[in-house]
Order: sequence, then structure tokens, then C-alpha cells
Amino acid sequence: MSAVAQRSLRPVSPRRRRSDATARVVVLAFTIVAIVPLVAILYWLIKEGLGAWSSSFFTTDPTGRFLGDPGGIRSAILGTIEMVALASIIAVPVGVGVALYLVEYGKLSRFANIVRYFVDVMTGVPSVVFGLFVYIVLVVTKVAGTFAAWKGSVALALLMLPVVIRSAEVVLNLVPNSLREAALALGAPRWKVILRIVLPTALPGIVTGSLLAVARAAGETAPLLFTAAFVLGSSADLSQRMNSLPLQIFNDVGQAQDRLVQRAWGAALTLVVMVLLLTLIARLIQRRSKLSP
Amino acid sequence: MEAGSLTPRATVRGGRSIHERSPRSRAIDPLLKWFLSGLAALILVLIAFFFIRLFIEAKPAFDKFGYIGFVFDNSWVPSQQLYGALPLVVGTLITSAIALIIGVPVAIATALYITELAPNRVKAPLTVTVELLAAVPSVVYGLWGIAVLAPKLQPAEQWFSDTFGFLPLVGGQVSIPNYFIAGLILAIMIVPIVSAISREVMSTVPDDHKEAALALGATRWEMIKIAVLPYSRAGISGAAMLGLGRAIGETIAVTIVIGNAADIGNTIFSQGYTLAAVIANEFGEAASDPTHRAALIAAGLVLFVLTLLVNALARYYVNRASRPASVPKGMAG
Amino acid sequence: MRYKNLLALSCCAVLALGAAACGSDDSSPSSGGSSSSSTGGGAAKAGGTINGAGATFPAPVYQEWAARFKEEQGTTVNYQPIGSGGGIAQFSAGTVDFGATDSAMKPDEIATAQKKGSDPVHVPTVLGAVTVSYNVDGIEQGLKLDGETVADIFLGKIKKWNDPKIASQNSGAQLPTTSITVCHRSDESGTTANFTSFLTDYSSAWKSGPGTDKSVKWPTGTGAKGNDGVAGCVKQTKGSVGYVEQAYALQNKFTTAAIKNKSGQYVEPSLQATSAAATGVTPPEDLRFSTINSPNPQAYPISAVTFLLVWADACKAGENATQAKLVKNWLNYGLGAGQQVAPQLQYAPLPDNIKTKAQAKVDGLQCNGAAINGAS
Repeated sequence: MSAVAQRSLRPVSPRRRRSDATARVVVLAFTIVAIVPLVAILYWLIKEGLGAWSSSFFTTDPTGRFLGDPGGIRSAILGTIEMVALASIIAVPVGVGVALYLVEYGKLSRFANIVRYFVDVMTGVPSVVFGLFVYIVLVVTKVAGTFAAWKGSVALALLMLPVVIRSAEVVLNLVPNSLREAALALGAPRWKVILRIVLPTALPGIVTGSLLAVARAAGETAPLLFTAAFVLGSSADLSQRMNSLPLQIFNDVGQAQDRLVQRAWGAALTLVVMVLLLTLIARLIQRRSKLSP
Repeated sequence: MEAGSLTPRATVRGGRSIHERSPRSRAIDPLLKWFLSGLAALILVLIAFFFIRLFIEAKPAFDKFGYIGFVFDNSWVPSQQLYGALPLVVGTLITSAIALIIGVPVAIATALYITELAPNRVKAPLTVTVELLAAVPSVVYGLWGIAVLAPKLQPAEQWFSDTFGFLPLVGGQVSIPNYFIAGLILAIMIVPIVSAISREVMSTVPDDHKEAALALGATRWEMIKIAVLPYSRAGISGAAMLGLGRAIGETIAVTIVIGNAADIGNTIFSQGYTLAAVIANEFGEAASDPTHRAALIAAGLVLFVLTLLVNALARYYVNRASRPASVPKGMAG
Repeated sequence: MRYKNLLALSCCAVLALGAAACGSDDSSPSSGGSSSSSTGGGAAKAGGTINGAGATFPAPVYQEWAARFKEEQGTTVNYQPIGSGGGIAQFSAGTVDFGATDSAMKPDEIATAQKKGSDPVHVPTVLGAVTVSYNVDGIEQGLKLDGETVADIFLGKIKKWNDPKIASQNSGAQLPTTSITVCHRSDESGTTANFTSFLTDYSSAWKSGPGTDKSVKWPTGTGAKGNDGVAGCVKQTKGSVGYVEQAYALQNKFTTAAIKNKSGQYVEPSLQATSAAATGVTPPEDLRFSTINSPNPQAYPISAVTFLLVWADACKAGENATQAKLVKNWLNYGLGAGQQVAPQLQYAPLPDNIKTKAQAKVDGLQCNGAAINGAS
């Protein structure tokens, strides 16, 4: 015993101290390397994008004109809001419904586990494949016209679905069973317990998860390429082609004209601000809720 | 009505006791259950439909070129009706490999720093900052990559290519959009997800493992080497696989910075193409050509299958990691 | 609870924003076929929306036409520049109302389109010059190059700007030792087809190698999407050379080469030289012709004519009658007032003999066997 104590009380050799110090520095350096791109992107976004921002930037549509005024990005902003709103209307209720099934009824049954597995599978599918799927099923077959904004929303909804289901499931599981049992003991029917007790308690978490899904959908380009296509003007008509921020940026990226590239930066800054705001609001709601994973 | 009172004679309309469910209530319960089960089943139906439809649409391409031929033929020339996807597959693999080589060590280091080495006050802000990297849309990564990163790195890449030209895969003229830049951007994009999962796994390392190492006189780094890393190995592998899955499927950022040349480049600084990028670029030109369209969908199917396999592997590793510690109860504490 | 208020507030804000924007939205209703009422006074505006896609070569002039057409007739023309290959594909698939290409459809492409139920009609609109633009410090505007030299550059045989082959045509010019980077198209392009057609005429190595097509196997260089992409590539890379339509070259202030034409003259791209390429040309019945390598001594040898693709009988091909009428209005505009607009962007208007034939084609467009009426 004393021999062990002797050995463990021996002072740390300089070599070991050096390797400890080096390792710490390397790990810190790598961590900084991870942060640098974010800082760089934000810096460039603000540097280049802010110059593009002006009142006409947000209130005029892109004109597509070669000479003269290239226009702003109004149709892109509106298009993104409209299509993502429709996608949320589809994805959030369905996603919460499936999560409710998994937590309240399915639990650990075979069927529920299969569903969970497939939801996991959906999380890994690249967004371009979702877009391709909707392209094959809805656009090529000319269901109600060719390219249309609502088809873009369907593709976005497919993307959002697994995210909503997973986060909702986590939050619903956190609702204490005692709440459910108390309500059931008082004679409330199962459906009332779910709709009046479980859902409201889990609501902040569900909203958080949904907002994060919305933030992700707002930034997606590939699914919209095949479904909503690209158009210059604003419209509220979801049965026609519609512009969107990611597509607008994608179109302006390779251009030779400097002011078009600057418009891309301005649109990118707008998009990042939107996404960051959504993420922030989601985190705020999560912080204030009583349930936290 | 006092819910807690047990007055046996309290009744509601219809003469039944308040403790009995109303017929309407009784009907809604199974309705809700079946409705929600239906939604859940919808997911299964959707995925199955997804896969089957993709396969049917892709079949003409596979019929024409064979499964092996489509994936391993080295010629993607739509104007001559040739659809061998090898350049695309190779491009996908090269860019993903570069992404893993660069991104995973950085992500692990970040996770290590946050869980083990960072002062407490820095932990939360640092976590949020790394997660913010995930919030940036991929088209913005592409814009920044092609407008800022690629031109700025080109002189350095050219110097590297000239100095180390004897190495395989290095040498020759450096193109501004190339495999390396695409891999670098992908590395940045996968850092948040690999880091988040690694962090989760590392924070489940039992404290007694760590304390035991420290008690035996290990320095902090030695403790990490002895206690944290081996324990988290499975989880980190799973995290890396998930990052790989993400890198394979990334479309827009890659297509902006890779040059979109359907050839296998000679060096990592040549232009290339990936499975995801070809779909985004060529679907417009394939609108009236059934073979071209089938070929693109086949590329999408290959991509889908690849990500399925990688993610399944990832899930296996992560599940293994979240199993309880295999230390026998007698030895701990 | 406070978060509920926050949620309600943000929902209302989004809805209000959307409503306000939609309310102030002054674009014409986009559902196909609707016509808005006339604005008092002048002629009734047709309104509506038509969708087109295709070549990036004429995109500058088509976009300008679209803007003026909308002011004049209220019709929104959504033109998506995705390349001639994409234009032909989308047109044949019926996902757009009209297509655009700089390279006439090949017989197999026509056969594919005919499956839709009607024949495709090529309507030539304007001529443009495919410039050989370069970005080299030390070389001025008007570097003299002949077809074989250009082919060798794009084949990768000529690697530096001070190569003897270039120097021999430009005695007196101090050529730098910079390496040449080639910029070319990565998508299916009519501009590529026209450019490679020119190269094939002057280089047997090119003819037996990459050949003439909308998309070829480029021996060297960086690929980019669209004329705008190649312009971006040239602009960004020192020592680069690329082929772009003149409007793009002018806008980016590129230095362009003087190319040797069939008569042996070195001609720089200009409006006059482009027009000269089409004078004296008698097009065939279906108007599928090319003006590359014109024998006219004043012609710029890489001048290209560009086409709009429409259906001979649009309704048989699946269009509805209103859309067919709007497309016909658009074509009439292009062949009418549009011809005066083209020179402002350095595109050459059609010579009269070709314009008459094109107009005859447009007049002959039908819907279910009957002529389309009411064209303004």
C-alpha cells in the first residue's frame, strides 16, 4: 500500500507535463479553428450584405434586367415565408400526431419501434432526394400543373417531419407520468388527458422543435429547385411557380455582375438573420419552459 | 361539482353516475387512437412508397447499363447518352473523405474542450456558437466558399501543389473550384453534428473512471486518453458516421464550389462532380429525355442507399455507446 | 403564460407582413389564362403570365423585352435562362409555354417533341456575337486570333499567352508569359454548339476530338453554368480566356479577340460585323439555319442566330387557347418593336428577308386547327 502511495505521490515528470500542455494547446487551437469559419461567414455577410440592404431592396422584386435596375428580393422573402408557412401547417400537426402516438399509445411496441426506426431513416435522407421524390410524384405527372409553390411546400414538409417528430417525442416523454395518472384517476377520458393536459404542458418544447424545423426548412434550396422553380415576381398564388430566398441566392451566386453578387450577399444576410431569429426564439422558449431534457 | 367527493347518487344527464364515461367520450378515445396510429402508419407507407417509386423511375437506367455498369462506368456524357456514374461516386467519396479527415478531429477537439477543459463560464456560449454553425443554410456556405474562401486559398493551394507535387493526387494546375474546397466546406458543415453527439457521449463517461485516473496521478490529458476517449470511442465513431452521411448528401454548397466537371480529376485541386450535385444541375436538361431523367433518379437512388447504409452504421455505433458501462458492479467505487 | 403571448405576437406579425406585402403586390395575377380589365384610355391589356426557358445567350435582350412587354401589355413573361439544352428539354416536356435555343433542334430532338402532338417551330429573333474574351494583364483589346489558334488554345495545345502561334499573328505586341486558363460551359449550351461549330471548320484536331455539340468533352479548363457563369470565370481568373456573348463581354468590360473570318479579315465583334453575318443568307423553309463562319468579308465569323421555340399548333400540344394567344403576342412583339430594342444591347436585328419569313411563321401558328386571333 505504501509503495502504491509512494508511486502516486511522485511528482509529474517534465515530459508528461509538456505533453499535457501541448495537448491542451492543440485542443484549444482546434476548437478555435471550429469557430473561425462562423466568425468569418458572419463578418463577410455583414460586410458585403449590409451594403445591399436598402428600402428598395426589400420592397421591389428582382427584375432580371441586364442593364438598368436589377431590383430587390421582395418576391424571394415573400415566397420563403409563404412556402415555409404552408409546409409547417402540413408538417407540425402530422409530426406532433405521430409523436403523440409513439408516446401515448405505441410506447415500446414492435410497431412503434418500427415507426421510430423509419423516422430515423427519414432524418438521414438528403434534401435533394426529397425534392427528386416530389418531382417524380407531383411535377412530372403534372398533378395540377407543373411547377408549383405548394409542391415545394410538400417537399419542405417531408424534410421537417422527422425533426418535428423526434423533438416532440422527446418533450412528450418528459411530461411527468404523475400528471397523466392524476387526470385519469379523476375520471378524465384518455383523449382529454392528451389534449388538455399533456399537449399544453409539452407545448413550449413542441414549439421549440417546430421552430428549429422551420429554420431548417427556410434555408433549404435543393428541394425547391425541382418543385417551386424560380420566378421573378411576387405572388400569393401557391399553384404557380414561386421565388424563394435560397433560390434567389443560388441564382445570383455565379454571376459576373458585381451588383448581382452583392444582391446574393444581401439576400444571404436576410436569410441568416431570419434563421438566427427563429433559432433564438426557439431557444428562449425552451429556456423558459418548465420541462427541459 | 366537487371532483373529489364520492356522493354515490351524483348523476349527470342520462342518469348515469359522474364516474362513468359518457358514450360520446367513450367513442372518442378509440377514434383518437386509430387516427394517431394512422398517422404513424402513414410514415411507413410514405417511406415505402418513396423507395419503390424511386426504384421504378430509376429502373430504365439500370436496365440499360446494368447495376454494376451504372455505378462503375467512367463516362457521364449526357449528350451522347452515356451514364456511367463512376466520376460522381468518386467525387462524392473524395469530398466526403476530405470532410471527415478535416472535420472529425476538429469536432472531437471541440467536444473535448467543452466537456473537459473549458472553464465553466465558457461552456454554454461555446456550445451555442458551435451549434450556430449548423443554422447557416448550405447555400450561404456555398456563396461564402466561392466568393471568399476559394479565391483566397488558391495561391496557397498552388504553392502546396507545386511544392508537394511528387505526392500522389497533388500537383499541376490548381482550379479555383475543386475537390479540396468542397471537402473543406463540408468539413465545416459537419463539425456541429459530430461535435454535438461526441459531447453527449463524452458527458456520459462515469465520473469514477475519470477520478480513478486522476487519483493515480494522471495529468488532465492522460486522464482523457485513459478514461474519456476509450469509453467514448463507439459514440464518436457513430458521430463521425452521421457526419459522413451529411457530407454525402450535401448538394447546394458542393455544386457551387466543385466545378461540376463530370470527370475524375487527377488531383485534389481539380474540378469534380458528386451524385448530389449532378441531380441539381441536370434535372432541367433531362425534362424530356426519359433515359437522362432515369439516370439522374438512379443517381439519387444510389445516394439514398449510401446514406441509408452509413446512417444505419452510425445508429449501431451510437446505440452501442449508450448502453450502460460494462464495468462489473463490484469494481466501481 | 408569457411564451403564449410571444407566440401569438409573432404569428400576427408574420400574417400582417404577408397580408401587407400581398396587398401591395402589383404583379399581374399569375394563374394561367386570366386577363385583367383594361386600364382606361388605351388598348386593353392582355395580362396573364407565360413561362419560358432556354438559352442564356439572348437572355439579356429577352429580359429587356419582357420588361417592356409587361409595361405595354400587362403580360408577365417569366424567362428562365438555363441553357439551350434545358430550353429544348423543358419545351419538349411541355413544362414551359415557349423555349429558346441558339442551336436548332436536332432531328431526334424534333422527333421527341413531336410526341407531344404538334411540330416545333423555330422562330429566329436576333443575332449575337460569340466573343473570345480574355483577362490578361498586358494584352490589349483586339488580339488577333485565327480559328486554328483558338482551337489549339481550347485543346490545351497552346499553354501560354506568348506562344509563337499567337505572336506570329500579332507582330509588335508584347505578349506576357502568363499561363492560359480556359473557361468553358458545363451545361448543355447553344453557345457551345455555335462556338464548336466554328472551331470544327478550322481545326481538324477539334473536329476529330471534341467535335460540335451543345456539350462536348473539354480537354482542359474550368466549367461554369451559363454565359454568366463563363463571364464570371473569365473575370475571376487572371490569364483566362472564355467564349461569351457580346452583351456579357461589354458589361464586364472584357477585352475581346479579333477573329479571322472566312475572307481572311481579322474582325472584332461589333453590331455591324454581327449583322453582316446574316446579310445575303437565304434560310431554309423551317428556318433552322446557322450564320457561323459567314462568307461575308465584313462579318464576324462567330455570329450566331438564336431561336424561340413554339408549337405549330399549341392547343394540340397541350396548351390552352389563352396561353397560345399570349405567346403569339410575345412573338409579335419580338419581331416588331423588339427589333429596335435589340441594338441597344448590341444584338443585331434580323435582316428583312428573314424577318418576313419569321413573321409568316408566327402568323401561321394555330390552335386546334384554327388561326390564333386577336394578336395585338
